[in-house]
Amino acid sequence: MKNLVVLTGLTILLTSTAMTSTTMADTAAKRIALSNNYAGNSWRQAMLQSWETITKPAVEAGIVAAADAFTTAENQATEQAAQIQNMILEGYDAIVVNAASPTALNGAVKEACDAGITVVSFDGIVTEPCAWRIAVDFKQMGKDQLVYLGEKLPDGGKLLEIRGLAGVFVDDEISAGIHEGVAENPKFEIVGSVHGDWAQDVAQKAVAGILPSLPEDIVAVVTQGGDGYGAAQAFDAAGRDMPLIIMGNRQDELAWWKEQKDASGYETMSVSIAPGVSTLAFWVAQQILDGQDVPKDLVVPFLRIDQDGLEASLETTPAGGVANVEYSLEDAQAVIAAAK
Amino acid sequence: MSVVRALYAKPWIWSFVAAIGVWLVTIAFTGGSSAGGLAQAALTFAAFSIIVGIGQMFVITLGPGNVDLSIPATMTLAGTVALKIMDTNDSLILVGILVALAIGLAIGVINYGLIKLLRIPPIIATLSSSFIIQSAAISYNRGIRIKPPAALAEFTTATTLGIPNLAYFALLVSAVAWVALEKGIYGRWVSAVGQNMRAARMAGVPVDGVRAGTYLVCAVLASLAGLLLSCFSGGAALNMGAEYLLTSIAVVVIGGTAVAGGFANIPGIWGASLFLFLVVSMLNTYGASAGIRLLLTGVIIIAVIIAASRSPRA
Repeated sequence: MKNLVVLTGLTILLTSTAMTSTTMADTAAKRIALSNNYAGNSWRQAMLQSWETITKPAVEAGIVAAADAFTTAENQATEQAAQIQNMILEGYDAIVVNAASPTALNGAVKEACDAGITVVSFDGIVTEPCAWRIAVDFKQMGKDQLVYLGEKLPDGGKLLEIRGLAGVFVDDEISAGIHEGVAENPKFEIVGSVHGDWAQDVAQKAVAGILPSLPEDIVAVVTQGGDGYGAAQAFDAAGRDMPLIIMGNRQDELAWWKEQKDASGYETMSVSIAPGVSTLAFWVAQQILDGQDVPKDLVVPFLRIDQDGLEASLETTPAGGVANVEYSLEDAQAVIAAAK
Repeated sequence: MSVVRALYAKPWIWSFVAAIGVWLVTIAFTGGSSAGGLAQAALTFAAFSIIVGIGQMFVITLGPGNVDLSIPATMTLAGTVALKIMDTNDSLILVGILVALAIGLAIGVINYGLIKLLRIPPIIATLSSSFIIQSAAISYNRGIRIKPPAALAEFTTATTLGIPNLAYFALLVSAVAWVALEKGIYGRWVSAVGQNMRAARMAGVPVDGVRAGTYLVCAVLASLAGLLLSCFSGGAALNMGAEYLLTSIAVVVIGGTAVAGGFANIPGIWGASLFLFLVVSMLNTYGASAGIRLLLTGVIIIAVIIAASRSPRA
């Protein structure tokens, strides 16, 4: 085991030396901090773990001097703003931030920029113009679900929509995409909508509450991730026919899908963003510190799992975790090049 | 007539009136065909609020400033640890339940220790202990979701004679709590402490023992609810108890228990728990947007509390 770690470290060291031999010296003294607003679910845990997996060897290899992760206790913008101010005082060269709010941190982010600090926001992005944004096209993520349903269910039908946390920008975006998709594909109709807060138990409760009032012929459930397994349990408990439920890459969702696939040939798809997007943000920050010309707005690809790829994804996803991809420096360079 | 008047005087009646009213409005949407399914779902999910609500009720009854904010974290830790120890193994169910109860007891001891020995106000004490508990749950298995043993999953999701098993369990807990509150010395002590701590102490009530016992009961009930919830929903999640922080307090208040302490009320917790689940179902059924839903939920809760507080206290 120890040998393996050493070996992996060595490989990374060697490849990164080869790759960044011209640039390494430039960021070797730089310190990067991760400002994270929440750690209380499996997606965030995977995000933090990915950060460690990628940044630790990078620090050991001398690509950067430090890459420390900090998480606030309460999911509060004010607390995160204070956290960022602390990071400014501690003299970090770059702050990578998953923000509690797109606007409430702008003041702190501006202060950081004014202090000459590079700020890269991802997943929960900030609107302050001086910061970089690694955003997900959430609207497209919603729309893609309808594209898939249109192919799978050419006759259309009634849909149940499970939304995320009310009042959060991501929820509005995905839902807008879903509704746009329905408008373009009028054979589908959304007959019910509940908020599942991206949490399995909340989704289960909300779906169980609305199901008795919904018509029997629901053909599909459109979701936002983290809520598919709960929806399946609610349909099961109500003794209803299982509709096509779009999944969100959580291991419990994939495992359930696999069970159904083996038992009855159940078909669906799963889409979400990989928690490893934190590592993409890390490399982007490193590239900016390195003096590369990086556009302010970058887009991360979704991680989508289809029927054929289910087994492979399930195998690599830890029990209870989320399907994940960690990004390398080349991936980051490719994303940057694509945005230019 | 006198029955109606007697009922009218009960502070808990309003939560039932509200729950039944909301239920009727919801099933009207489908012309009544959803009546059974909705009632079943309401009883299932209300069971969790009832179990944690009863614990919170005893704590709130201890008097001003007493509230347990560590309930969600306790639920998460108990569910996570118990499921990991049982590891889907039916033969370890008893061990799992005992572990969950032990976690509840330990948290109760810690909470009251902070309050009594370090003289920290209960709100701060339980809030800070909840950070420690939540961190313990995170570091214990970093959000790994382990499925419950088949027998426990079956028990928590099944119904007997059309009523969810969880509702029977909540009924059992309520019955024990009711006897302790209305017929036993413990209930008198809790109410006495809540009405006036100094008077209670002078009257010979073992105030510290009563308070310690109450925080213990609350934490144990929370850990039980956490175990049941994680079995019911197919695994423990790090954020699973989050909504029970406000819910546990709301069901106590809507149910007619005095916020200032001294007067507890168990039937009201049932009415309030059913009501809170049904009101969300109703607004979802009628397709209200999230903003309207939150607004109406707030307005309805205020209305029920006003109605309940107007009825003369027996």
